[in-house]
Amino acid sequence: MDILFSSLAAGILFGMALSLVALGLTIIFGVMDIINFAHGEFLMIGMYTGLLTAQAFGIDPLLTLPVAAAVGFLLGIVCYLGFIKFLLRGPMIAQLLGTFGLMLFLRNLALLIFGPNDRALHKGILVGKSFDIGLGIVIPATKLATAGLSLAAFGAVWLLMNRTRIGKALTATALNPQGARYMGIPTERMNALAWGIGGASVTVAGALIVNFWSVNPYIGLLFTMLAFAIVALGGFGSVPGAFFAGIVVGLITELPGFWDFVAYTFEFDWMSDVPMTSFKYMWVYVAYFVIMVVRPRGLFGWKH
Amino acid sequence: MPLLDVRNLTKNFGGLRANDAISFALDKDELLGVIGPNGAGKTTLFNCIAGLHPVSAGQIIFDDEDITRLPAYEVARRGLARTFQVYVASGDLCVLENVMVGAFMRTHKRAQARRRAEDILERLNLRELAGAMVSELPVAAQKRVSMATALGTSPKMLLLDEVAAGLNPGEIEEILAIIRSVHRDMGITVMLIEHVMELVMNISDRIIVLDYGRKIADGLPRQIADDPKVIKAYLGERYVHEHSGEAT
Amino acid sequence: MEALKNAVDFSDFPRSDLIIAILVGAALLIFPLFPHSAFAMATMIQFFIFSLYGMGWNTIGGYGGQVDLGKAQYVGIGAYTTAVMLIRWDIPFWFSMPIGVLLSVSWSFIIGYPLFRLKGHYFAIATIATSLVLKDLFEVWGFVGAARGLEISPIKYAPPDFLRLIFREDVYYYYVIFVFFLLGILYMNWFRKSRLGFQLRAIKDNENVAQSLGINVHWAKIKTYAIATAFVSVVGSFHACYIKNIEPEDTMSLNLSILIALMAMLGGAGSLWGPIIGAGVLIPLKSYLKEWLGASAGLVGIDLIIYAAIIMVISAAEPRGIWGLVEKIRRRRSR
Repeated sequence: MDILFSSLAAGILFGMALSLVALGLTIIFGVMDIINFAHGEFLMIGMYTGLLTAQAFGIDPLLTLPVAAAVGFLLGIVCYLGFIKFLLRGPMIAQLLGTFGLMLFLRNLALLIFGPNDRALHKGILVGKSFDIGLGIVIPATKLATAGLSLAAFGAVWLLMNRTRIGKALTATALNPQGARYMGIPTERMNALAWGIGGASVTVAGALIVNFWSVNPYIGLLFTMLAFAIVALGGFGSVPGAFFAGIVVGLITELPGFWDFVAYTFEFDWMSDVPMTSFKYMWVYVAYFVIMVVRPRGLFGWKH
Repeated sequence: MPLLDVRNLTKNFGGLRANDAISFALDKDELLGVIGPNGAGKTTLFNCIAGLHPVSAGQIIFDDEDITRLPAYEVARRGLARTFQVYVASGDLCVLENVMVGAFMRTHKRAQARRRAEDILERLNLRELAGAMVSELPVAAQKRVSMATALGTSPKMLLLDEVAAGLNPGEIEEILAIIRSVHRDMGITVMLIEHVMELVMNISDRIIVLDYGRKIADGLPRQIADDPKVIKAYLGERYVHEHSGEAT
Repeated sequence: MEALKNAVDFSDFPRSDLIIAILVGAALLIFPLFPHSAFAMATMIQFFIFSLYGMGWNTIGGYGGQVDLGKAQYVGIGAYTTAVMLIRWDIPFWFSMPIGVLLSVSWSFIIGYPLFRLKGHYFAIATIATSLVLKDLFEVWGFVGAARGLEISPIKYAPPDFLRLIFREDVYYYYVIFVFFLLGILYMNWFRKSRLGFQLRAIKDNENVAQSLGINVHWAKIKTYAIATAFVSVVGSFHACYIKNIEPEDTMSLNLSILIALMAMLGGAGSLWGPIIGAGVLIPLKSYLKEWLGASAGLVGIDLIIYAAIIMVISAAEPRGIWGLVEKIRRRRSR
């Protein structure tokens, strides 16, 4: 039973980190209909930023978040103004392939600069520490902090979107770009802002995740696919949707571990032929497919 | 036996009742006009009959078969074709090819489809424009291409959606002649939505009038023109009041 | 037969295009007779392979307008079917290839039915998801060698073996795939003029209008997807016999799926020559970039950076591809 709880806890915590990763994607999609294949690469850049800043200045990884946010914000805006803006004029296939090109570009640039090897954080207030909260659940401090900060970030974004003028302008642009333009809202600037905020949230997520996940230039794709699945499950454009769907996906990735444990302990040979953990991400894709067919709008989606 | 029999057709879009218990019937050799102010539900009616919208209540019987629940392509295959405001099958195909798309509904062979398409273009005076791209044509020709595309499917009945919109009087005459030819020479039953009164009054055997989703009148063109309910729908109560007693 | 006549009838193309096509075709025919490096030969074979992949993709992606980013799974099914059948049961290519097609097409119908209820981005992501799922499954499935894959060792057979498609010299492979290439072009020429081809173009433009013209949109898409699948599977089977070493990471990866879509988009999706032009430009570019600037130059990844930049520029500047550009210029000239 303990193992079940700890799997659940791990799933939820990881899920909250994933939610933050997906948040950027859903904001961007909400404001303009484009899917960014390079999303995972932004995450990767955030991870490297967090890691290198911490190592270079000898400061605690948690303090690198503002740096990561700034980098992400700039990156998002530059990508939009320098490239994405032009993609929007073309057909969808060009957009998809264009962002795929961006993904390859960023990935190989990172490969060139950082080399292919894994890098991880070894020092920091939270690294290596954990809390035992009973019921057999042991939570690494880094994951707990990530989850907490993710919640904070979501709260901040929600406040931004719903309580500030800028946020409302963004939402207006998302719902009706023409109408927003007539109201004097500068759509171009809103688009760039969406990319900035989207970029910042995912790089911050990266700076958090690097506390418990090592980084290399190839790590982006997995997270891009997970983010897509989360955004689709939660509903494209929905901020609360991304939050809950992230947790769901986190759970999906942890439960196969639990299955393996059950199979092993209870000696269900037929179950343990192939360890389910080999496919833990596969189930996310299966879930995506099933949900898309059954309820294309996702949990909270309003855009189709 | 009417070719088309619509019984209590109702279509709701959420809270809005676009079509409210509309009933009418159409014989094979009739040409029925559908008129009414903007937003009366005319295009919705066409969409429901053609199977593009699921119906909220009521029945549609075409050629003795209940087509109410059939999807649009099945309705088309049973011989009920329609034109669209967005003119044609594909902007990337030339005029002849557009008509061939419809013709392919009845045959798998390219040669046969091509012959059928050429035949239709001939009847609609579009022969010289066979190789042209639709977007390069003047509006009047585009309307004819739109009709030709629908006719490619060799339908028993044709629904025309505002084919005269945007045409000058000479072009209206032309399209009137074509519609008549389609109806009489090709033996196709026609039902048309129109705002251009001269066309409708001139060509229809019968007219139904819609207002706020309901059918408010059904009769011969003359009767419709004199019907106070119709005048009121178009011009308002005050007009009827002020002009009551005037003979036509 | 009428179909055959339609396949060889290129009369609706301008004369100049046909002359160029014939000249290029002739050049391709005699290429192996001229001195060439092994690398050049290998690049040419890849060109044919990717032209065919692109042509297949073009049916559903170009003419049909549905962006499919999961074609690699069918390359895998084709390749593995042929490899497994050869290694385990000594079944020659000409039998295993059609079986591979059968398996691929069956799978395409199974996932196609739910898949085509989706559109646009959702559809594209779903295609990626299914391809990744299949790849993950192959990576743990012992029967097909799991992640290590399968290897066909030519010493077990007596090359040149036309039945099993095992040869020692590349030139045999060249001519075999060249024939497939020509057949592919003939098929695509028939396809674009066929009933399904016309239906697809109407669907791509406006699905409601297509429905009203009696087209069962869902079914048309599924059929076309199956055709694209068949193309890709045939070439996958060939790939197994040519490369002789297959594993999920190269045969079924997302990179491959995207590359396939890229061929068609770069060259001009929705046109007959597009995928061929796309492959003609992209494959040599990719190969030679890698040769000159890749790992050997000590700068890992530069070739891919340039390749990625090219993709980005084309997507942003001329999404209709090279052929789209050609047509644009022609239209302007004729004014």
